[in-house]
Amino acid sequence: MSNEQSSIAFPSTEELSGPLLRVKDLRTTFSTPRGSLTAVDGVSFELGRGETLGIVGESGSGKTVLARSVMGLLPRSNTTQTGSILFEETEIVGAQEATLREIWGAKIAMVFQDPMTSLNPVVRIQRQITESLRLHTSMDRAEAKATAISLLSQVGIPSPAERVRAYPFQLSGGMRQRVTIAIALACSPRLLLADEPTTGLDVTVQAQILDLLSSLQSARQMAVILVTHDLGVVATRTDRIAVMYAGHIVEMASTKRLFASMAMPYTQALLRSTPRISQPSHTRLIAIDGRPPDLINPPSGCAFAPRCTYATDQCRSERPPLRTAAEDPTHLFACWNPLQTGNAGSITTAKGEN
Amino acid sequence: MSSTTDAVSSAATESSVGVSRAPKKRMRKALGTIFWISICWIGVVFLLAIVASWIGLDDPNNGDFSLINSSPSWSHPFGTDDLGRDILSRVIYGARVSLIVGFGAMGLGMSIGGTLGMIAAYRRGAVDTLVSAASYVMLAFPALVAVIAIVAFWGHDIWKITIIVGVASTPLVYRVIRAATLSYATREFVTAAKAQGATDTRILSRELLPNVLPTIISYFLIGVATVIILEGALAFLGLSVPAPTASWGNMINESRTYLSDNPWLALFPSMAMFLFLIALNLVGDALRQSFDAQESKL
Repeated sequence: MSNEQSSIAFPSTEELSGPLLRVKDLRTTFSTPRGSLTAVDGVSFELGRGETLGIVGESGSGKTVLARSVMGLLPRSNTTQTGSILFEETEIVGAQEATLREIWGAKIAMVFQDPMTSLNPVVRIQRQITESLRLHTSMDRAEAKATAISLLSQVGIPSPAERVRAYPFQLSGGMRQRVTIAIALACSPRLLLADEPTTGLDVTVQAQILDLLSSLQSARQMAVILVTHDLGVVATRTDRIAVMYAGHIVEMASTKRLFASMAMPYTQALLRSTPRISQPSHTRLIAIDGRPPDLINPPSGCAFAPRCTYATDQCRSERPPLRTAAEDPTHLFACWNPLQTGNAGSITTAKGEN
Repeated sequence: MSSTTDAVSSAATESSVGVSRAPKKRMRKALGTIFWISICWIGVVFLLAIVASWIGLDDPNNGDFSLINSSPSWSHPFGTDDLGRDILSRVIYGARVSLIVGFGAMGLGMSIGGTLGMIAAYRRGAVDTLVSAASYVMLAFPALVAVIAIVAFWGHDIWKITIIVGVASTPLVYRVIRAATLSYATREFVTAAKAQGATDTRILSRELLPNVLPTIISYFLIGVATVIILEGALAFLGLSVPAPTASWGNMINESRTYLSDNPWLALFPSMAMFLFLIALNLVGDALRQSFDAQESKL
């Protein structure tokens, strides 16, 4: 399949060094009628070239806003951003739209959650794919069409030459999500943001789409940020995982390390609330009691404290800083009473069985 | 890679695209006979209005004074009026005025009001507030009174009337197109297009316009019908194209005096107007319904 792709230049890995994306103390605030809402609060992370980062959290934890902030896609009228997002040499926070437009689609692309709404219902698939090719490359109509067909075959759409003429409503949900992936990959971006790419799909199709994403990623040396609420989704397909809660990154570690010795009770609670095949049928899931905090009036202290079974008075009054684990300097967590390794270990065993 | 091949084979069963030709046939059937009769009628009126000068019609403005107020006959199928002018010829020439004013004014209204509506719905914020406020101000003013006042002041040749009526229709068009665009402007595919690096102009013309187009077409046709009525009303008040140029409206106006002696004089232009308007409305309505049905399928 790689020879079909010859018209697009892949960035060669040798000439590129240093992290692709450097997010530093990012703070995204929306002004709402009730007051200002800080959806992303002091987030910092780095992403290497070709690396996959999973961002996990409940609804309302700020993961989607983080992804859109990284892209600079949020509406400007009611959003303020501070901090820094350095993508290669470009600063995204506070950049002009004209600057961002050159990066959008060409270097950073996004796969959206719901392929039913992220494809234009009245425009043929061909034009939706060739749109960014025509914008960012010097391809003419015929070349762009040929590339569109080759992209469709790469994302596993049968008889792509006919399918390019189809409208989105003529395709099933899984096929549509494949098309949105083809659109995102059109200009061979360096960074792909996948915002819950499988949430709207059937479980069987979910696995196909995720496998497709990881095979395309390794073929293209593309960095991926995979946003999801499902720890199961990121478990086998990411290099690192960042767990978000109430706009903060509360734990970040390599995928292996995170599942082996998670430190945050929140991460543990998220994992416990995921159903597992190894469990006997009719096992009750352990849900996390309560709700995510109101981000307009965030609680003082640890945001998770009201729902945490291990919470102490210190948790309720003082916000835990993000600190590194003693055994692994790349493992960061924000907790006053981190889980003992044995504590998390029982979960890992359960996870390991399936 | 093997997983991808698996995916390919399973995806093959997911759906088939053998429907590319079917919708057209289905659409032709769904629109119904009345729709196609209406389309034919509109086509005939257009054609006659265009070729009026070359099909050997009697002069619409200079009559035969020996034959006034006559009933339909072989030489004058629709009869003659009080100045001995052939009514058939005047009805056909009159269609020109109605068509130019109707389509011209609506075209103008659509291009100003429609463009503003789409921009306002897409940009929101200050642009939207400003233009919407202006449209409310215009809507608050009774359109017919305003049009009469301006026509009386500025003069009434056909192009001036077209412009005045076109501008008067702008706020209504603006509201309809703005509302139609608004329901699409917040959808994810607009953000997705933006995330691909599309400019605002491109998003408006290539992402939003195709979605709003059905509304534009059906509202355009119904708008044309309304404008033709408005032209008729102006003509009835003696404020449309100056005599002796025929228009359906001023023919009806002239016939008032002779209604008891020569009802044909009022009947034919009224029939022409009635049939043309009903055809426009039926076409507009059928299209709207057909688009709605397709929308719900998506």
